[in-house]
Amino acid sequence: MATSFLSRRPDSGLGNIGASPADPSRNVDWVLLAVQFALTVIGCFVVFSASRTRISADPYAFATRQVVFAIIATVVMFVVMSVDYEFWKDRARFLYGLSLVILALLFLLGIASGEDRISFDLGPFNFQPAEMAKFTTLLMLAAYLAEERSEEVSYARFLGGLMIVGAPAVLVIIQPDLGSASVLVSMAMGVLLVAGAKARYIALITLLSVSTVLAAFVGRLVNDYQSARIRALVNPNAANADDLYQAENAMRAIGTGGLWGKGWLQGPLTNGRDIPVMWADFPFAAIGEQFGLVGSAVVLGLIVIALVRIWRIAHLSRDLLGTYFCAGVFSMVLWQTFQNVAMTVKIMPVTGLPLPFISYGGSGLIVYFALFGLAQSVHMRRMR
Amino acid sequence: MAADKRAARLGVLALVGMLMFSLVGARLWFLQTVEQEALQAEVDTTKLRTVPLLPERGRIFDAEGRILADNDRVLAVGVDWQVLRDSDNRAEIFRRLSGWVDVPIEEMEARFESEVYSPFLPMPVAEDIDERTAIAIQERFEDLPGVQILEQSRRVYPYAPIASHVIGYMGRITAETKDFYQGNGYYLNERVGQFGIELSMEEDLHGAWGYVTYEVDNASRIVREVRRVPPINGNDVQLTIDLDQQQFAEQALETQLKLRQQQVAINPRDPEKNFEEFVFPEYPREVPYKAPAGSVVVQNYQNGQIIALASYPTFDNRWFEADLGGGKFDEIFPSVDANGEPIDPDESILVNRAIQGRYNLGSTFKPFVAFAALDTGLMGVDDYYRDEGSYRMESVEEDKCNDGLVRCVYRNATCSGTGKPCVYGAVDVETALAVSSDAFFYRIGELIMTQNDFQPILQEELRKFGFGSDPGIELPYAFDGTVPDAELKALYGERGVIGESEASGYFTGDNVQVAIGQGLLSASPLQLAVGYSTIANKGYVMKPEIIKAVYQPGVPDSAIQGYADLTEAKLASEPNIAGEVVRQLPLAQESWEEIDRGLTRVIYGKGTTSDFYHSTTGENLFYYYPESAIPLAGKTGTAQGAGNFPWNDSSAFAAYSRDPARPYTVSAYLEKAGYGSQAAAPVVKCMFLQMSGITQADPVRLSDALDTSSTVAAQPRQLSETSCYDGRFSNVLTSE
Repeated sequence: MATSFLSRRPDSGLGNIGASPADPSRNVDWVLLAVQFALTVIGCFVVFSASRTRISADPYAFATRQVVFAIIATVVMFVVMSVDYEFWKDRARFLYGLSLVILALLFLLGIASGEDRISFDLGPFNFQPAEMAKFTTLLMLAAYLAEERSEEVSYARFLGGLMIVGAPAVLVIIQPDLGSASVLVSMAMGVLLVAGAKARYIALITLLSVSTVLAAFVGRLVNDYQSARIRALVNPNAANADDLYQAENAMRAIGTGGLWGKGWLQGPLTNGRDIPVMWADFPFAAIGEQFGLVGSAVVLGLIVIALVRIWRIAHLSRDLLGTYFCAGVFSMVLWQTFQNVAMTVKIMPVTGLPLPFISYGGSGLIVYFALFGLAQSVHMRRMR
Repeated sequence: MAADKRAARLGVLALVGMLMFSLVGARLWFLQTVEQEALQAEVDTTKLRTVPLLPERGRIFDAEGRILADNDRVLAVGVDWQVLRDSDNRAEIFRRLSGWVDVPIEEMEARFESEVYSPFLPMPVAEDIDERTAIAIQERFEDLPGVQILEQSRRVYPYAPIASHVIGYMGRITAETKDFYQGNGYYLNERVGQFGIELSMEEDLHGAWGYVTYEVDNASRIVREVRRVPPINGNDVQLTIDLDQQQFAEQALETQLKLRQQQVAINPRDPEKNFEEFVFPEYPREVPYKAPAGSVVVQNYQNGQIIALASYPTFDNRWFEADLGGGKFDEIFPSVDANGEPIDPDESILVNRAIQGRYNLGSTFKPFVAFAALDTGLMGVDDYYRDEGSYRMESVEEDKCNDGLVRCVYRNATCSGTGKPCVYGAVDVETALAVSSDAFFYRIGELIMTQNDFQPILQEELRKFGFGSDPGIELPYAFDGTVPDAELKALYGERGVIGESEASGYFTGDNVQVAIGQGLLSASPLQLAVGYSTIANKGYVMKPEIIKAVYQPGVPDSAIQGYADLTEAKLASEPNIAGEVVRQLPLAQESWEEIDRGLTRVIYGKGTTSDFYHSTTGENLFYYYPESAIPLAGKTGTAQGAGNFPWNDSSAFAAYSRDPARPYTVSAYLEKAGYGSQAAAPVVKCMFLQMSGITQADPVRLSDALDTSSTVAAQPRQLSETSCYDGRFSNVLTSE
């Protein structure tokens, strides 16, 4: 009644009203945060449903670990949020260099041990340097492009940007991890596009990527299972039955889910052993089978909301650096979601790219939380 | 203007995003609505069949590469459980199969009911079928739905029955071990190690199952292979056992036991009754030795490796692969006698006495007591004691002794010449060992206790040699042994093994008994060998090692039949060639030498002269032992058995080579076979003559097929020539 908003005492209510409206802590994008946590919680349940029958000892083993990863990731995110994103500009070079060194180390280790390596075994969990490279390469590329305060990217700077992405991409390809390399390339394309690269520059990247993939095939850099997976999509009859089989079963799982799905823990294909490593590679099939079109739409809808919010932050950013950061995050989430879901419904070849926030995996979860933290940081500090 | 451009570019990005999501969304909608039914139908008709792939069990080799355990692939007929669950189907399938595999329908039904077969593998109805039958059954695929030909593996032992106790045998997973094996990825149908190396090395030998998954159509025809995980074969295990020595040890043991069974023990006449009556008047003058069982251990004392490990009565481990019915098995390996009573433990076969035997060691134990006395400073190498034929405890008051409350006087063994306890006169450690003066060691037993505040010093010293603890050999059921102390007596009291008053404490008298290897002291022949090896190498207690190496699967056969080609073998782990030192016993070199001199005199003389010349306990037996043979030091022992009847005396002997180039220790223990010098020592002597290359051993041959009509656990195997047992006065009762 009489107490209107204006008559509220300055020192009551939420937070310190005395602080400036531009105080970063008052400008968290709560929608983005809520969506992100909703996806993560859904992810833990999906991981449980897709892994519980696979390990006889403890059905909660993977889900429990995923919850622990989520907690670690949350801490990492809040750390990233709490620093001004300008902070990364000066440290980008160092972090980027560190990533390259680690990637190279992994490659050398792989040669020494004579087997393919995509991760370091750190006792309780595996550390995938390619995931770290996603974060650091974005920092480096955005910082580099933001140095030029013009609306158009010069050809020289474009080439420089290309090299920044090229170095880690090549190191990741030879691991071999084509999936992560494609994420790096998609990120570069997004950032360069927003930075004002001409259409022909973008075309050049596309050409380069395609020829790299082809070269990888010819040079047998791609390991057998990856080439088999791609061949499986092109020519199902000639492909290795195993790869074909898991993709086909993933598609079957989704399809048989129908409109409403078979219900929580009721999916025969999710419960069976028909889709190897489902909790990491095909969680979307578990969603589709158990919760149908409705469930799939909800999950994709949440990701779309997240993308819209990040896109909005790119708009609101006070400077180019923030915009580039958000453009990179946007592109990576978009591409990785698309690739994972598309392979599950058999319109893309099978790569090991996880579905952001849903798939099992510590490195992936932590990096995406960090990336979202970066976007939050841009949002929080949009008012100078 | 600038902001507009940025917005436009961001717009492009959004557009790309929308495109991608539309594409995925459309596909999802299509799959989950339009395609739903078709996909569901596909899922319903597609079935998977997973066939486990059997890993090949690792093989077992001897030290020379002879293949002691191998595998045969055999074919079996199995039926899917799904088909069998319906009782009409089952009856029909069994009826059709019965003639083909020659198994009565009732037996198949019994198998179905028995619950011993894995629900994840087809139920086997017949094993070891010939190839022709297998093909015939496969051709009648349509008439026999769910019937499969399975590949199985059967264990073969090419050299059986040699070393059967060591190699062991396999058998079904039992109710007790079911959970353990299932938890380790086994199927219930599997046969697993039950004894010997087959059991102790099960983890290495087994390997891991693989599987192949097929997609099958409604008629169970294979459409395609979906996934194949190849099995991991088991590792091959090489033993330190040398089959040449092993065969000889087994033959020498069995031959000697059978010789001893033809000998008699004399019922002694009582010197206190003027030799007019027998000590055991209810028995005749002569009682034959039973000599039912025994064992031999041959060890390399430098690296601890066991070269031979014989136990009698022995068996042929192929019986366990012969698919015997219950009746036949009980006939060969009886657990009860004709009256339904449990069989005499003397006759038990499936016991490796070399490591499981629980024996008093008698005087073979004395060197360890001598070590204790020298190590604790109770006496030095120059100390003498006057042996008057008996020992009277010093620490007990006169009255108590006279009242008969406490046994105060302990006598030496009887001298055959006088019929009275031997009197050895002044003896030091060396001579006491050489002639086996009981009185000398009785005294140590008392003084080591009374001079050390009744602390269990002797026990501590004895444990250093490994007595009373797990010998650590890679074989199951090895006996820990017991070193008597207050705790053990209390335990035995609780169990009713000894009387209540007896169990009330550990007394000086107990220690006096331990000092000559009697009383509650017990050890296995393996522990005895390890102890003598420690004396031989002057202080290094070596872990008895029976695994020489473990190889990765795929060791090829050699061109010589029955051998593996180990030059091609890849090690699975780095073997410990030098052996493992469990502990080192620090003792002055002169003290070790004193013990060594005493033990050498046991073999070569000379004895000691008091009232007359007393030869050493081995002097006569080894009188003709050639100089070119391995030089020895050793000790006899006679463990008194039930009722102290002479015919229940068990015979022990341990000896080691004094030539470091041929570093062998041999111990032998023959139950109820007489004095140490009569029964066990000749076996050890034969063993050393053989290892010296003087006695010719029979060559080791691949064995003939098992005679399944036989009803004995193992065919007798004896030395063709027995002169190696003979000493100077054969059959003369040499004194202990």
